[in-house]
Amino acid sequence: MNRNNQKWYDKPVTKLILVSIALTWIFPIFGFLLSSFRPPEAIKRASWWESIYTGEYWRELTLQNYSEVFFTENLDRSFYNSLAITIPSTIIPITIAAFAAYAFAFMEFKGKNFLFMMVVASMIIPLQMSLVPLIQLFKSGIELGGITLIPALDINGTFVATWFAHTGFGLPLATFLLRDFMMGLPKSVIESAKIDGASNMSTFFRLVVPLSISGIAAFATFQFLWVYNDFLVANVFLGVYKPENLVVTSHMSQIVVGLFGEAWHLRLSGAVISMIVPLIVFFSLQRFFIRGLIGGAVKG
Amino acid sequence: MKKYSQQEKLLNFGISFLALGAFPLVWFLSQAILFRELTDLISRNMLVVIGLLVGSSFVFLLFSGMERIIKLAPIERRDSLEAKMFAGPSLFMIFLFLFYPAIRTIYLSFKDRYGTSFVGFENYLWSFNDTEMLVTIRNQIIWLVFVVFFTLFFGLIVGWLTDRLNKGEAFFKSIVFMPMAISAVGASAIFKFIYEYRPPPLTQIGILNGIRVSTGEQCYNNRVIDGVVKGYDDASCNRAVGWLQQRDLSNFQIGQSLESASWLDNILVNLPLNTVLLLVIMIWAYTGFAAVVFSAGIKAIPADIMEAGQIDGASELKIFVSIVIPYIKSTIIVVGTYMVITVLKAFDIVYVTTRGDLETNLLAVKMLDEFSKYRNIGRSSTVAVLIFICVIPIIIGNTYREKENSSL
Amino acid sequence: MKKSIFGLLVILSMIAVACGGSSLEGEEVFITGALVGNDAAGFQENFDSFTEETGIIVSFQGSDNFEQEIQIQMESGDTPDIALFPQPGGVVDAAQRGYLISLEDLGVDMDEYRASFSSYIVGLGEVDGAHYGGAHAFNLKSIVWYQPAEFEARGYSVPATWDEMIALADQIVAEGMNPFCFGMESEGASGWLATDWMEDIMLRTGEGTVTYDKWVSHEIPFNDPVVKNAATLLSQIMHTDGYVVGGTDAIVSTYFGNAQDPMFVKDANGNPGCFMHRQASFITSFWPDEVQSQAGVETTVFPFPAMDDGLPKAALGAGDMFAVYSDSDAVKEVVNYMLSPTFFEAAAQRPDNSRIYGHVDFDSSLYSKDITRTLADAITGALAENAFRFDASDLMPPEVGGGSFWKEMMNLAVNGPGYIDEALDNIEKSWP
Repeated sequence: MNRNNQKWYDKPVTKLILVSIALTWIFPIFGFLLSSFRPPEAIKRASWWESIYTGEYWRELTLQNYSEVFFTENLDRSFYNSLAITIPSTIIPITIAAFAAYAFAFMEFKGKNFLFMMVVASMIIPLQMSLVPLIQLFKSGIELGGITLIPALDINGTFVATWFAHTGFGLPLATFLLRDFMMGLPKSVIESAKIDGASNMSTFFRLVVPLSISGIAAFATFQFLWVYNDFLVANVFLGVYKPENLVVTSHMSQIVVGLFGEAWHLRLSGAVISMIVPLIVFFSLQRFFIRGLIGGAVKG
Repeated sequence: MKKYSQQEKLLNFGISFLALGAFPLVWFLSQAILFRELTDLISRNMLVVIGLLVGSSFVFLLFSGMERIIKLAPIERRDSLEAKMFAGPSLFMIFLFLFYPAIRTIYLSFKDRYGTSFVGFENYLWSFNDTEMLVTIRNQIIWLVFVVFFTLFFGLIVGWLTDRLNKGEAFFKSIVFMPMAISAVGASAIFKFIYEYRPPPLTQIGILNGIRVSTGEQCYNNRVIDGVVKGYDDASCNRAVGWLQQRDLSNFQIGQSLESASWLDNILVNLPLNTVLLLVIMIWAYTGFAAVVFSAGIKAIPADIMEAGQIDGASELKIFVSIVIPYIKSTIIVVGTYMVITVLKAFDIVYVTTRGDLETNLLAVKMLDEFSKYRNIGRSSTVAVLIFICVIPIIIGNTYREKENSSL
Repeated sequence: MKKSIFGLLVILSMIAVACGGSSLEGEEVFITGALVGNDAAGFQENFDSFTEETGIIVSFQGSDNFEQEIQIQMESGDTPDIALFPQPGGVVDAAQRGYLISLEDLGVDMDEYRASFSSYIVGLGEVDGAHYGGAHAFNLKSIVWYQPAEFEARGYSVPATWDEMIALADQIVAEGMNPFCFGMESEGASGWLATDWMEDIMLRTGEGTVTYDKWVSHEIPFNDPVVKNAATLLSQIMHTDGYVVGGTDAIVSTYFGNAQDPMFVKDANGNPGCFMHRQASFITSFWPDEVQSQAGVETTVFPFPAMDDGLPKAALGAGDMFAVYSDSDAVKEVVNYMLSPTFFEAAAQRPDNSRIYGHVDFDSSLYSKDITRTLADAITGALAENAFRFDASDLMPPEVGGGSFWKEMMNLAVNGPGYIDEALDNIEKSWP
């Protein structure tokens, strides 16, 4: 690998293109972030670029928008709720998907390929399509020709419903990603363990799980961001009419859209606050996240 | 091959059924009921802790029970039964949460608005005759073409060019990748701020209109200046526009100059600007994903292949086209497939910006609107089925490719 | 203050009767609705004294996406106890699908209820002889906001008829300014402002309220000449050059709450961006703070001008109706309290309140602003003369009133007058 000392005559061009793409990508956030530190009337009075040009921006700098959002009643509870939904919704699918991935990667059974195709196919089913049948399932179960296949559960509006909904929606990707990751592990190690007489269960726990940690972490990051940023599933399964059930995304939409006028100052600061947790998670686990994505896609 | 007795076959079938059906059902039901009962009894903190503990460990308890049953089966069958046991809960949940609703939706798409009586293909006829549906389908196609093409395009550029850097690779990739961490709702808020329109005489605070009004002559909106009325629709000035309502380019000089020319110009004039401005949000959000995956694929190209190209004195562009692209072809296809699926499911962006008004609708939004706004279960299901139908060619293509790969 | 003490006594006695002394302390009642922000806070405040008295904890959680969410909640079986619908059509629909408990079943004294809210309002929540919608707060829509000082300075007089308004508009355009503010972007409900205009015109053309009622119940089709006439007149406002500040871009792309902002800003010549803004009474809550405190003084209203000769005056309005999903003693208490004359006292005294309580015995001196009092009297007066009509789009089936009607009005705004026929035909086709 001597790629780094190659003499690339067009390197300045490379840099120029990259810098301009990066600037384009950062630009939308830039103006948004800057504006969130301006007083409400200033946002309406003059555009942010003009205020920077005139120097007004620096004189008016304020944290007032943030404190207004941050000290709304029970924002802490909404953060708590978001985490209380996100963490189990991340852990539960991992535990069952890891086993399934192991089976698909290292074991043989009839219909394996077909079933795996089904897992892949299920990734394309739009989530919106599932919502109504699922709330009906959670409410009154499934009955087929007079036989109760699943009894009435009556779990709509509880945390349980959201945990399971997110588990169900996250499983196809989890199974797919982890199977792919495990396929990349050295086959000989696993086979020699089997020859030594280790049971599947102990191979799974002693060898495969420790080796797959980064794959698991990748999916966990992915699922965490997805669930945390989710708006639809929480609204549907977690009766949002109860104030104590608000999550951060729905809380923000209450503050931001709900307030009178185009309350840009709250919309800006609210959006920035709701991005904090995902961005922290993203930057601290970026390595895993990317590795997991690569594991899934590069091999194709 | 050993012959199995009838009894053994029956046992095998029974255990398979247990592994794939009954036992995951127990896993699901017992937790659902347990958590439901606990919800009112204990504090939320405790519930989350118990949810985590039970949710992650209950499955082992069941596995160990199942293993005992599996021991009843002939020894050479055990491995396969155990595999079914491992895969059971995941497959069961996928079936119950995704396939069962899908099948039900297909069934409902042949029923009337209340889901009570059958109407045959009426809903499907509606979906290809209704003007709004046709516009929605058109938009979906525009989204597919533009979003998939541009995320792949920019993704390849960033993935390829960052690979050429000595340092700063991670930095550039992070910047392009960052929008992935922002929710679609947040991303839409960011872009709404860019597209913001305000009626005169208020100042424009959205940068797009800011740029527009500051170029060219200032518009006076019917003001009398030195005794002359300056209309707001004077051609000589650039007035602020509501970007998300521009269904074509006819309000812009560029559009007017194109009018009544060749067929290409005709297409350009009719370019639905509002739809394009909305799909830009998605390109912005997903390019990073493509770039990161491509970058990894490019790194996996053996150094000698690349060097061979360099020694031949091939230009950078030529190496890219003739070596890099063919080498990561399968990666491009995978990312492309993922993007097609994501675009077909795209929902939040349109839902929180225009809600599909003024010809910006997408199938997923239309589906939810038909359900909760117009309350037509039949039509809503039909739209869902259409989304599903769109991806069938992709599954078939991928299955075919997978088979091809595995036969190699 | 006397009235509130009296109200308290009424409540206390009701409690004594209803629960026979048993305590409802700690019972929780969940209410949801479309109210958000200050309105939601005001609504919640109404229950402070109630909770103190009865121990029943009432919590309100509003959502700007209420209409969609309540549908899903009904489907899921996880409904709130009470929901505050912004559209009576929603109450009727939910009742027909069997989700609601009628006020009769909850033991509400219907004669008293009818007497205190007028039989027109009470009738809006009726299905098969039973009543499912509880009346709540209202707003007046047949008003046009303007600034008297700006009118005076230019010698304009307040138009009493449509023709006068058009003449004034033409004069303003000729003087190089724009007469109207108009903005109807409203998240998922964009277009309702234009339907309001249509309704106000419908009430004042043809046979007035008679045609209006026929239109609402679909006895005349949506592409009837009377309706077409109304759409044509609306299009005249929207599409005449110079009438609306910012033109169609403003109409379609301006958030309705910000639509009046140009009136409060002066351009380079010292003229306001617009002079007239037809919008409901609640719009004051959306104004900038400094303007809001001058509502009714610096910025005030004139009635929507008369149109066809010989028609009696009519007033358009809208408001919330609550529907009840669960039956318990605590809910009964809350329902009775919500229909009592003292219910709205706390909210009415908030400086940011612009909602008008529908109860005839409500002490209107409690309103924080004079303008609210004036408009409240206008509503009560119109109700007494049976000249009050509820927002048609809220009474039509949801696929029209909350769907095609709004959507086609948006299309009409951008497509121009040539689209009128197509718009009306499309709406007619969508009627279930």
